Amino acid sequence: MNKKGDKLISVYWFAILFIVAGGIVYMVSAFYGKPYDVRGAEADILTTKIARCVSEAGYLKEGVLAEDFKNNLMESCVINFQAEDVYDWREQGQYYVEVEFLDFDTKQKIFEISEGNQGLKLDCGLEGEGFPVCVERSLYSIDENGNQYKINILSIVRKTEKNVQ
Amino acid sequence: MRSLGENKLKNKRGNILTENIIFIILNLVFLSILIVFLVSKMSAAAVLEEMHAKQIALMISAAEPGMTIHLNMENAINIAKKEGINSGDVVTIKENVVTVKLREKGGYSYSFFNNVDARPNFDTSTNKGYFFVVDKNE
Repeated sequence: MNKKGDKLISVYWFAILFIVAGGIVYMVSAFYGKPYDVRGAEADILTTKIARCVSEAGYLKEGVLAEDFKNNLMESCVINFQAEDVYDWREQGQYYVEVEFLDFDTKQKIFEISEGNQGLKLDCGLEGEGFPVCVERSLYSIDENGNQYKINILSIVRKTEKNVQ
Repeated sequence: MRSLGENKLKNKRGNILTENIIFIILNLVFLSILIVFLVSKMSAAAVLEEMHAKQIALMISAAEPGMTIHLNMENAINIAKKEGINSGDVVTIKENVVTVKLREKGGYSYSFFNNVDARPNFDTSTNKGYFFVVDKNE
């Protein structure tokens, strides 16, 4: 009777072992099968790069308010939005950046600069992994004449196919 | 002369011991297979290719001209050696696209947005990583 009972326990033991192992295999496969989603980090780095490009130690950098800077954000901030040539990424554009300069007191928009695929902005705020990642940051800065600005930076990175399964 | 009862008891003890040993061995075999599976998944070439390509792309995106960055890639380089890939050819950068290749029929590419000239140099002193020299794009 005892022996039969022991065998029965063994069968159940192996059944539990298979269930646990199945669970582990499924979880590990699901974890390592998914790509690493680095778009958040990428958008953060882009935002920091733009912020450092327009302002340093709380002061607006020289020439930021000039037309030349506004028309050549990519060159001025040493940025290249050309992605690898897969999934039609080059044609679509995988990045978008928008910099808003507001009067700090009145909060009125003075001017705005943007670069990249503007269509990506429509997907900001939508929930789900399949949408682009949007990062929005604000900073305070003053120019050489003491004028105060609030600068809003919006960075968007798409690259969905390589970051989301 | 042993009695019948003593012999039965000895046989029963022998059976219990054998069953337990088989049971333990089967458990160990089962767990070993599971561990081998986990390790193989964790150190798979495809996973390391993707991880390093993205890591390098982010690193260069955040870098400033004049920087030299060292990245330890020991695991990846060991796999590349096993797969017959030259350690100096593991990382390539063309325009602004980083490619990490650890297998003959493999490779993973990811782009960076920093408009700089980044060059990968294999660390020949340790044979465990790469130096990335970041300069202004001419």
